[in-house]
Amino acid sequence: MPDIWNPKPGDRVFRPRRIKRFHLRRVLGVAAVFSAGYGNVGSSIYYALGIVALVAGGATPVALGVAGILFIFTALTYAEGTSAIPEAGGSASFARHAFGDTAGFIAGWALMLSYIVTISISAFTIPPYLGFFWEPFKSSAVVGTFTSIGIVFFLMVINVIGVKETSFLNIGATLIDILTQITLVIIGFITLFNPSLVFQRIIDNWPSTENLIFGIALATIAYTGIETMSQMAEETKKPERSVPRALIMMIVAVLVIFAGISLVSLSAMPVEELATEWSRDPVAGIAFYIPIDMIKVVLKPLIAVLAGTILLIATNAGLIGISRLAFSQGAHGLVPAAFSRVHHQFKTPYVSIIVFSLIAIVLLIPGFFESDVFSNMGALYAIGSLLAFMLAHAAIIGLRIKQPDLPRPFRLKGNIRIAGYDIPITAVIGLLAVIVIWVIILMLEPYSRWIGLGWMVLGLIIYGLMRLRKHRKSQEWQIKT
Amino acid sequence: MFKKILVPVSGTEADAETVKLACRLAKKDKGQVWAVSVVTIKRALPLDAEIDSEIKKAEEILDKADTVAGEEDYEIETDVLQAREVGPAIVDEAVERGVSLILMGIAYKQRFGQFSLGNVVPYVLKNSPCPVILYQQ
Repeated sequence: MPDIWNPKPGDRVFRPRRIKRFHLRRVLGVAAVFSAGYGNVGSSIYYALGIVALVAGGATPVALGVAGILFIFTALTYAEGTSAIPEAGGSASFARHAFGDTAGFIAGWALMLSYIVTISISAFTIPPYLGFFWEPFKSSAVVGTFTSIGIVFFLMVINVIGVKETSFLNIGATLIDILTQITLVIIGFITLFNPSLVFQRIIDNWPSTENLIFGIALATIAYTGIETMSQMAEETKKPERSVPRALIMMIVAVLVIFAGISLVSLSAMPVEELATEWSRDPVAGIAFYIPIDMIKVVLKPLIAVLAGTILLIATNAGLIGISRLAFSQGAHGLVPAAFSRVHHQFKTPYVSIIVFSLIAIVLLIPGFFESDVFSNMGALYAIGSLLAFMLAHAAIIGLRIKQPDLPRPFRLKGNIRIAGYDIPITAVIGLLAVIVIWVIILMLEPYSRWIGLGWMVLGLIIYGLMRLRKHRKSQEWQIKT
Repeated sequence: MFKKILVPVSGTEADAETVKLACRLAKKDKGQVWAVSVVTIKRALPLDAEIDSEIKKAEEILDKADTVAGEEDYEIETDVLQAREVGPAIVDEAVERGVSLILMGIAYKQRFGQFSLGNVVPYVLKNSPCPVILYQQ
């Protein structure tokens, strides 16, 4: 062994800055993926119903039903996408594989918007459910909004410090959640369901066509779970098989629960009441109207606590989801490297957590003054998520053309042959429907139009600047003065 | 005995076995293993030139090393180095990290009908600041 190593002047080494990929262990099975996805969807039931009733009125079950069909198409598209490309990133990664980095960026950036809004909406709907314990949480806009902001801030701090998420709490809450929802549907059907009354209420409160379409768009708020499941592909055992299975299980579960809850709610209370007093806590509204006192006494506080917990977990899941997405986008150089910066002590991606929490808080501020902030947030969510779904559908079709031989353990059936390529018809219908709904929301909703498009333009500017910097010449040979 | 092990990987068949061996050696002392892949940059280009195809190749090699380590139930760290020559880069990395062992995998190669070690291995053997183990596939 030499005592001293004397490198020559040319023996220099450059260590390129690289974002080390986290290799997530593949530990999750079908049940775990399902429960994570359902945890997300299950929470959206606590506000999706009210938000849809707010605009679709009597046609709420119809809007949810039509959105349900769209939901099936979208879930099937994600099933094929995840089985072919089993990596984290969901629609952003499908789009990147099919159309390149820019499309991947657009899908990812749009998803980020919907994640941020999910954080805001979930936090915004926690206080009304807690109104059971202290009335001002529900009745006072200032107290409610202030509490919501406090919740986001609290979760931001916790996530920066990096308190370990107890999966026990998550799984337990999801389980109790499913049981409570099923119980509520069953009890509701037995005690409240009245088909002629529901039919009458649907007919009497039929909305304008515009509102119906807007309602369908808002109902897509229940879709968040699809993306979550797809994001978990990298941690799943045999993702090409288990993710599609979990997705199909979720389609069935969600459709049954949503159909049940929406029909029960319309039997329980008049549409106007659902759209006003109970719009932010519709499930508590159902419990309120159950005619049997004994059940009511147990169910009301149970729903208040449960909805509060589930929504808190959903807010947190949104925060974790967005930082994970920003990290994976950063690894592919699609967002500024700062977003993937990890805190030296806490080992958490603190920049993305803080930035996105603050944006979510800003979105909550109008809650102090405006009453229609809730449906505005819903529309804004739809703008982001529909764009991501659009790119997911398009990417699946694009991949069929670009890489027809890619192994697809889950392959969509019902294909039409165009120019020698098999094009899945469900993805085509899904794509067209999503485009139509997206354009309609853009036309109808000035708030989401400007904020949503502003967000996308901001993203494209950041992306353009990053690309420009990347292509700038190296400065190694410039003489430093 | 070996707390810090450096494993240069180059995409040959010997890589997997070498990484496996490194993991087993490190496991006893709960040591660290670094797998490094060196991207050689031609002198006509600046040293920090980003050659995507080469970096991608290096990342793929490191991914494989990572997978092998995962199968051994051990976590390793990976790194890409850019240098003009592979040998000096490996020695430089060993000095920088203060490693206690360099574990290199080599494939049986012939040059002009004679067995040849190439020029990287002799350079590392000559200049390494720490013990070197060669593993021939």
